[in-house]
Amino acid sequence: MIKFNRFLLDNGLRVLVHEDKSTPLVAMNVLYDVGSRDEDPGLTGLAHLFEHLMFGGSVNIPEYDLPLQMVGGENNAFTNNDFTNYYLTIPSSNIETGFWLESDRMLNLDFSQKNLDTQKNVVIEEYNQRYLNQPYGDAILKLRPMAYKVHPYRWPTIGMDISHIENIDLDQVKEFFFSHYAPNNAILSLTGNINPDHAFNLTNKWFGPIEKRNVNERKIPAEPHQNEGRILTIEKDVPSNALYKVWHIGPRNSTDFYTLDLLTDLLAGGESGRLYTELVRDKKLFSEINAYITSDIDPGLIFVQGKLMKGIDIQFAEESVNKVINNLPDSDGIKDEMEKVKNKFESSTVFTNTSILNKAVNLAFCELLGNPELINREVDDYRKVNLDMVNDAITRYFVPSNCSTLYYKSTRNN
Amino acid sequence: MGNLQRVQPPVFPIEKINIPEVQSVKLNNEVPVYMIESGTEEIMRLEFIFRAGQINEYLPLLSSTTNMMLTEGSQNYSSEELNRLLDYYGAFISLSAEKDCAGIVIFFLNKHIEKILELSREILFRPIFPEEELDSLMKKRLSWYNESREKVQNLAIDQFFESVFGKHHPYGYQIKEKDFEGINPILLKDFHMKYYTPDSMTIIISGKVHKRTTELLNKYFGDITSDKIYIEDPENILKGEKKKKIHVTKSGAVQSAIRIGSATINKRHPDYPGLKVLDTVLGGYFGSRLMKNIREEKGFTYGISSFVSSLDLAGYKVISTEVSRKNCRKTIDEIYKEIRLLQTVPVGKEEMTVVKNYMSGEMVRMFDGPFALAESFKSVWEYGFDFSYFYSLVEKINTIDPDEINQLARTYYNIDELYEITAG
Repeated sequence: MIKFNRFLLDNGLRVLVHEDKSTPLVAMNVLYDVGSRDEDPGLTGLAHLFEHLMFGGSVNIPEYDLPLQMVGGENNAFTNNDFTNYYLTIPSSNIETGFWLESDRMLNLDFSQKNLDTQKNVVIEEYNQRYLNQPYGDAILKLRPMAYKVHPYRWPTIGMDISHIENIDLDQVKEFFFSHYAPNNAILSLTGNINPDHAFNLTNKWFGPIEKRNVNERKIPAEPHQNEGRILTIEKDVPSNALYKVWHIGPRNSTDFYTLDLLTDLLAGGESGRLYTELVRDKKLFSEINAYITSDIDPGLIFVQGKLMKGIDIQFAEESVNKVINNLPDSDGIKDEMEKVKNKFESSTVFTNTSILNKAVNLAFCELLGNPELINREVDDYRKVNLDMVNDAITRYFVPSNCSTLYYKSTRNN
Repeated sequence: MGNLQRVQPPVFPIEKINIPEVQSVKLNNEVPVYMIESGTEEIMRLEFIFRAGQINEYLPLLSSTTNMMLTEGSQNYSSEELNRLLDYYGAFISLSAEKDCAGIVIFFLNKHIEKILELSREILFRPIFPEEELDSLMKKRLSWYNESREKVQNLAIDQFFESVFGKHHPYGYQIKEKDFEGINPILLKDFHMKYYTPDSMTIIISGKVHKRTTELLNKYFGDITSDKIYIEDPENILKGEKKKKIHVTKSGAVQSAIRIGSATINKRHPDYPGLKVLDTVLGGYFGSRLMKNIREEKGFTYGISSFVSSLDLAGYKVISTEVSRKNCRKTIDEIYKEIRLLQTVPVGKEEMTVVKNYMSGEMVRMFDGPFALAESFKSVWEYGFDFSYFYSLVEKINTIDPDEINQLARTYYNIDELYEITAG
């Protein structure tokens, strides 16, 4: 049970505090409700590039990292489709330095052309490193536009095309800041060795004076229902064939979320998952296989992806995957396996929450979903899933017309 | 906007790190157990360590394969049953075989302690190395290997270890495709019998230590004995290759991977704490010289870092980055420039303070929570130290001066002795 206090500042900033005296540290997390789904299709990658710019100095502080390192702190950030998240951990005696730093960059950035130019290069190298210089690294770049035709989830966080990053100018960056970075579009969470009253006073002192801003209203086109299977085959110089399949699911807040989460855990949660035992261990069709759902706020995807063993026909492997999924509810031992994945989910939640940083990020995310209490409810919601619900989900979601399939073939097999 | 002065709040010195006591006991068969009480949840981290790493191999892949086969079937459980039971009890197991040591770590909820110990005994002392599972593991590993050889990072680091430690030494040997064919159950059983013995076992426990832990450990592990086996000391000589600069070609690579470094002292040497400080200045944190220059000034890379690491027979230091091919040479020149600066120009006062404070903060993080504590303990236990090692590191962080850093850079970063490996 994670106890927390929640405050709302006059300027709209939402604040969550969880005190944990067993640690000498405090974790501070600032979540901005802006992600790659909020980008213009002609200017993709901006939200993520912006994350880099947030470290280039703010209105009163020329360098972000230096004063933080000076008080023994450490920080990082990430951007996804839905939000941008900044976090730091710091010895508790110096937490006020964290407030000073984070409030100053919410107040205003020191926009410089030099910093923009450098960070563009850094992001281009990040793109090269993550997506182009890794075998199969571009699979996700191919899959998104197959599954999404309209919704901005069709491009990855790094951007649809690297030329978008290259062309971004300083005015667009400023415009992005003032229409998305605002106290009324942010969530602050604090966990660890900090008293809620102290946290509230410091928040008021440092974030209180920042005025509300006009945040762009979110107008995201809904993805139309997919009613035909989509297939793409690509051939590249990679070591073996790989299979990727995705199916549309509902939004993060839908009731099916935990059913589908449990379902993919039955399929691929650990070495005793069904896909692993049947297709890797027994039939030896794959060298590795995984299944999971995305935690996207708007309707997301189920992913199944695997690397094939040499000499295995990709269509045969695919049929075998479908069989494992469809036979799941009637198979032997399914009741025990349900109990197994529920136990594993529960213990995994306990382990995750031993870290104050995880607690801070999760609290902010649950608040973004509209209910911070979710953090304490997840295990129960997951436990409530029964076999009928799993069966029903398989029938509704694992439908060929709802699926996009990528055959990532190796030219070396030919 | 009110009248708030947006200036840095008062800075407080980082409190003295609070390192808990380690309780040390011996099981009935003399196996040492170290227990670290920490945390608020009813969970434990249990680690079994054996001197069964690559250094003990008489054939490549022997150590890692023996380790990975531990959960592939035991006298009383099939591979499937073992994995299913571990999942059923909500346990997380991680297998590891490194250069010096090998073993397993299990994270579990305290209420399942007895079952977890029973399964651990099966995994560690009763594995049967079934042929079919082995065959399938080797096929999987071969395909993972082939995939890993596609990445310039791996090509570069494998070549780095070969160059630094010598191609015949277990620290430096580069795995080849043919090595995946030579492993059979008899070899694994032999390696297991020699190196997974109570004589070479150590147990490290952290978390909310269950009050019956010692009693239960004795029940499941205290009566295991092994015959003394004479093991010939393999005459491995650590000797770096002659050629200092090697490029590994990878056609079609978008970026080149750079690894620059050499063998160096390990934790047993009194200069090691000072070397850690020097390494942090150079490339050990986000504000380091290399990050500032190569990423933040020039935008050549997403990341660059330097790292000093300790092994049983030696240590090594390595600078790592991935850059566009066109910037590869320029980056290498800048790396040498930064090293030369550290050898000749004293580090300024402000930078010294930043590094000292950053490292002090890191120390607080290294002792925060049961998992971090156990890892920190293991990292010094391997070299015969206990937590008091960290007090000497703190002392060094607090007292080191710019002259000493210049001196260390001249002693340990002789540019002519560094290996320069690129892949791309």
